[in-house]
Amino acid sequence: MELRYYVLFVLLTSIFTLLLYYGILWNLVVSLTNYSLLNPRIEIVGFRSFNELVVDEEFRDSFFRTLIWAGILVISGNILGVTIASLIFQVESPRVRNFFTTIFMYPIALSMVVVAIAWRWLFDHVKGVNVLLDLVGLPKVAWLQGDNAFWSLVFVSVWVYAGFVAMLYLAMFYNVDKTLIESAIVDGANTLQIMTRIVIPNSKQGFIVSTVFLTLFAIQMFDLPYSMLFYNPFTETIVIYIHKKFVAQYFYVASAAAIVVIVISAFLVIPYAMLGIKRWVLKR
Amino acid sequence: MEFKGLLAIITLSLLSLLWVFPAYTVLIGSLKSLEDVIGSPSFMPPKEVDLSTIVKVLSDMREPLINTLIVTVPVAFLATFVGSLTAYAIYRRFDRVSDTTIVLIAISTYIPYQVLLIPFINIIKGIERYLDITLFDTLPGLALGLATYYTPMASLLMTIFITVIPKDYIESALVDGAGEFKIFRRVVLPLLGPGLVSTFIFILIMTWNNFFIPLILTRGYDKHVALKIFSYVGQSGTLYNEMFAAALIGSIPPLVLFILLGRYFIRGLLALGTGGVR
Repeated sequence: MELRYYVLFVLLTSIFTLLLYYGILWNLVVSLTNYSLLNPRIEIVGFRSFNELVVDEEFRDSFFRTLIWAGILVISGNILGVTIASLIFQVESPRVRNFFTTIFMYPIALSMVVVAIAWRWLFDHVKGVNVLLDLVGLPKVAWLQGDNAFWSLVFVSVWVYAGFVAMLYLAMFYNVDKTLIESAIVDGANTLQIMTRIVIPNSKQGFIVSTVFLTLFAIQMFDLPYSMLFYNPFTETIVIYIHKKFVAQYFYVASAAAIVVIVISAFLVIPYAMLGIKRWVLKR
Repeated sequence: MEFKGLLAIITLSLLSLLWVFPAYTVLIGSLKSLEDVIGSPSFMPPKEVDLSTIVKVLSDMREPLINTLIVTVPVAFLATFVGSLTAYAIYRRFDRVSDTTIVLIAISTYIPYQVLLIPFINIIKGIERYLDITLFDTLPGLALGLATYYTPMASLLMTIFITVIPKDYIESALVDGAGEFKIFRRVVLPLLGPGLVSTFIFILIMTWNNFFIPLILTRGYDKHVALKIFSYVGQSGTLYNEMFAAALIGSIPPLVLFILLGRYFIRGLLALGTGGVR
């Protein structure tokens, strides 16, 4: 394809893509200034904003909270996802498989606001699942009080994404060489051995993909905590911190925190995009 | 049926109760009357089915529902079409230039868009001043915001989906003397059917459910359905029936699409995740 046609065909997408890169650049530039409501005269002041981030306890808390969220989401999401995928893999009927895939995956087709409303009422102290706990004689749990709120929300995020992870693994399971499985059956291996020694080890790519995505989901966590508990200090993530600073018009602080998010995701995304696209799309 | 298959189904059924329970709670909660809401736990079935909450909330949500439809359908359509143009160019070019293009598109798609939205407001303000129009807090402005993020994503999806078309088809059309536009329209578009549907459905569901972009680019709660649902969290206090009704009504379009055309949505997700088309 001639270059002039190429440019014409990719023009609109390029404009939008460049706008996104402009956003990254803008954050970088503004993070080096003092741009805020209090400083209408914008000046370049260097890395002061990053210094302010480091000493700001609220940012440090939201930063580490987000990392912990990512870690737990990656570990539990993968464990639950592999479990669900392995169980669905045992089912022979395609119809039953589709049925369960739909049930475990539907949360990802919902707005996080809807998820937040549903769980907010299941976590309610008086009208939620505490009623059931009370019924069987267990003590009530303050699901949304203090640090419990954080763990409850982490649980909800695992609930949302487990089906997505299961589907990624399931796709890999079906790509495993059938003859490997058949010869293992001939050798007398049981189902558990087949899964743990052949199918799952041959689906490493599923682990890489879901780990990258779950980390990205955690790093950009905003909708769920914000729409369930608004600016709750116990569930404040980096993006909520950025939003808060943006609303208060501390633009240089918001941009510096945005750069932190961009750097973390770049470490995940750039190798993933370079390798993944080369291997899976371009197929040289 | 084999024993292990049966065991798997029983385990899956038990596990899936945890996934069904919240949806069930929302459904029955929105069928409750006011007295029922005050007196009963959120997951208890209503004493009698009361449709008045749903009717009331539905009429409150008319405007945001229509606005969301007006914005998301054209955005998903445009993103899919523009994405397929880009995908065709990248597929045809197949050199260092197109490699760079797709890697740049992929990186911008995976970087969290939440952190790019503050600069985006500046861009919008700039366009407003330059062209003397209003974009902030308008439907076209919201559409522009969504298109900015979802067009590169649609292009990435289409670039993955287009690889199923054999290169010979395009080359034989070239030999016949067809131009690029003609090949795209006559040869590529008809063969891209399932890929186009997957991308369209995927982008439609993602834009319908998006909360952050409308939150930043509009004021009030009427321009997007997710904002409207969110508004009930603050307004209705402990009257969960209205919240549940709003959540239910706002979720029906994406859920129906997901249940009926789920395989297309899943193809989109799988393509973004693994870059593979099965």
